[in-house]
Amino acid sequence: METLDHLLFGFQVVFQPLTLFACFVGVLIGTLVGVLPGLGPVAAISILLPATFHAPPVASIIMLAGIYYGAMYGGSTTSILVNIPGEAASVVTCLDGYQMACRGRAGVALGISAFGSFIAGTIGVVGLTFLAPPLAAMALRFGPPEYFAVMVLGLTVLTFLAGGSMIKSLMMACVGIIIGNIGLDFITSQPRFTFGTDILLDGVGLVPLVMGLFGISEVLLNIEESLTTRKVFETRLKGILPNLQDWKESIWPILRGSVLGFFLGILPGGGAVISSFVSYGMERKLSKHPEEFGKGAIAGVAGPESANNSATAGAFIPLLTLGLPSNAVMAILLGALMIYDTPPGPRLVSLRPDIFWGIISSMYIGNAMLLIFNLPLIGLWVKILRVPYPVLFPLILLFCLIGVYSLNNKTSEIGLMLLFGVLGYLMKKFKFDGAPLILAMVLGPLMDKSLRQALLMSGGSIGIFFESTICFILFSIIVVLLVLPLIPFVGRFRKRVGEAEEQA
Amino acid sequence: MKHQDQYASIFWFILGGIITFSSFYYGVGSFSKPGPGFITFLAGAGLTILSVILFVLSRSKKEDRLSLKQLWVGGQTGKAFYVMGLLIVYMLFVVPSGFLISTFILLSLLFRVQGNYSVKNTILLASLSTAVSFIIFDIWLGVRLPRGFIGYFIF
Repeated sequence: METLDHLLFGFQVVFQPLTLFACFVGVLIGTLVGVLPGLGPVAAISILLPATFHAPPVASIIMLAGIYYGAMYGGSTTSILVNIPGEAASVVTCLDGYQMACRGRAGVALGISAFGSFIAGTIGVVGLTFLAPPLAAMALRFGPPEYFAVMVLGLTVLTFLAGGSMIKSLMMACVGIIIGNIGLDFITSQPRFTFGTDILLDGVGLVPLVMGLFGISEVLLNIEESLTTRKVFETRLKGILPNLQDWKESIWPILRGSVLGFFLGILPGGGAVISSFVSYGMERKLSKHPEEFGKGAIAGVAGPESANNSATAGAFIPLLTLGLPSNAVMAILLGALMIYDTPPGPRLVSLRPDIFWGIISSMYIGNAMLLIFNLPLIGLWVKILRVPYPVLFPLILLFCLIGVYSLNNKTSEIGLMLLFGVLGYLMKKFKFDGAPLILAMVLGPLMDKSLRQALLMSGGSIGIFFESTICFILFSIIVVLLVLPLIPFVGRFRKRVGEAEEQA
Repeated sequence: MKHQDQYASIFWFILGGIITFSSFYYGVGSFSKPGPGFITFLAGAGLTILSVILFVLSRSKKEDRLSLKQLWVGGQTGKAFYVMGLLIVYMLFVVPSGFLISTFILLSLLFRVQGNYSVKNTILLASLSTAVSFIIFDIWLGVRLPRGFIGYFIF
C-alpha cells in the first residue's frame, strides 16, 4: 500500500507540464534514435546530456531515461522494414521480422512488436516499482567492502556478457578505472595524471568521453563505410493490428519475454541484448513449429522485442538502489545524476523521492506514449528512415560540438572529445568494446574510495573482503564468471552476442 | 604477418607500464595505508599483464589475421581523416572567428563530404542549420556561443 502511495506521488511529479513534456521529448527522440541505424541510445544520450543542464534534474533524467527505453521500440521498425537492426537489442528481430515483411505481414510484425513492447515495458516497470524499494533498504547495510565487491562484480559481469574477447573487455575496464581516477585525489587532494593542466583537475568529463567514444567515432566509421541511404521495404503497410490467431501465438512469448528480460536486465552488462537472444532461443525450443523460426514466425518477433523492453526497466534497479550502473546507458545516467548533485544509491529514495518515484512513474506514461507513437505514426518513422546520412552526420557532429563546448565554454573540451573520438575509432577498428571503459570510468572513483576505505578499516588486511557473507558470495561469482568463458558452450554464446553487437 | 591484436597489445602494454610506474610518483602506499596512486597502480599493472596475455594469445590465432594496412582497406578512410581535420580546424578557429561564421563554413564542407548537392543547396542547408542551432542553443537554452570578431559589430 505504501508503494502505491509513493507511486501516486511519482505520478504527481510526472504530470507537471514540464516533466510530462520532457517524457514526451525523451520517448520521441528515443524512437527516432532507435529507428535510425548508426545512432544508438548511448550516443544520443551523451549528445543530449549537456542540453539538459539547463532544465530541472527530474525532467532531465526522465527525458534521458525515455530515450533509452524509447530506442528499444524504435529499433524494431528498422529491423522489420530494412533488415538492419536500429540498435543491438533488435538484431534477432531481423530474423523473423523481415521475413514477415517479405510475406506482406510487415504491419502485423510492427504491431505485435509495439504491443509486446508495451506489455513487457509495463510488466518491467511493475517489477521495478515493487522490487526497488526493498532492495534500496537492504543496500543501506552495505559497507565499503560490499560496495567494492559489487562494483568488481558489475565490471566482471559486463565484460563477461559484453561479447567478444573477455581479455580485451577487462583491459578496457582497466583503462576506464585509470581515466576515472585522473584529477584530484579525494583524500589528499593531490593531482593525479593532470600533466600540470587545469582542465584535468576535476577529472576527465563524462560528456567529452562518451561523445568522443560513441558519437564522433561512430560518425567517422560510418563515413568510412560510405553509409548513405538505406533501402526501405516498399510495400504499403496494412493491418497493423494483430488478429486473434496472432495474439494466440504471441501472448505467451510476450509474457515469458517480459519476465525473462526483467531479470536479465538487472544483471550488469547488455541486459537488453542478451535477453532478446535468450528469449528467441527459448521460444524456438518451446515452439511446436521450430522450423518456422527464421521464416517469419510471429513468436520470433514478439518474444525478443518484449524481452529487450522489459530489460530496460530491470536495468534501472541496480542504478536506483545501489547507485551502480549495469550498462553504458546507465553509467551515463549515473554521471548525469551526479552532475545534478543527486548521487543515486540506497539513499536516493529517501533524499530525492521526486527523482526516484518520478523516473518509475514516468516509465508507465512513457510506455503508453510509445504505443501511441509507434502505431499511428509508423509512416512517419518510415519516412525518417529515408533521411540521407550525408545530411544527418554533419548535424550529429554539430550537436556534439555545441554540447561539449557548452559545458564550460572551453574549446579544450572539444579537443578532449576529438581525442576520445580518435581513440574510439581505433578501438572499434581493433575490436575493443567501449562499454566496459565507460562503466569503469564512472565507477573508478567510487572503487578507489571504497577500496581504500575498506583497507583502512581493516588495517591493511584483505581478509575484510571475505569476512561478510555478501562479499564472499559476490567474489565467488566473480571467480566463476572469469572461468566460465573457457567452457566451449559459453564461449560460443558470447561470440554470437559479440557478432550481433558488431552487426548493429 | 602479425595479428592486429599484437599491435594493440604493444600499445596498451606501453601505456599500462607508464601508468604503473607513474603511480609510484603519486604514492602507491601500502595495504594498511593506500596512497593516491594505489588504484591506478593496480589498474595499470592489470592492463600490462592483460596486454601480455593478449599478445601471446594473438600470436597463435590463425583466423581474422589482418595487417595494419588491411584494417583500412576498402573504406573511404581519407574522408574520415578529412572530417577529423575539419573538426580540429573548427576547434582552433571557432572562438576567434565566432560560432556563426565557423559553423557555416564547417557545415558547408561537411554536407559535401558524402552528398552530391549543388552549391546553392549546400549553402541553404548550412545556413539554415547554423541559424537554427544558434537560436536553439544560444537564444533559447542560454549557451554563450563564441561571438568572434563579428560580435563586435553585431552583438
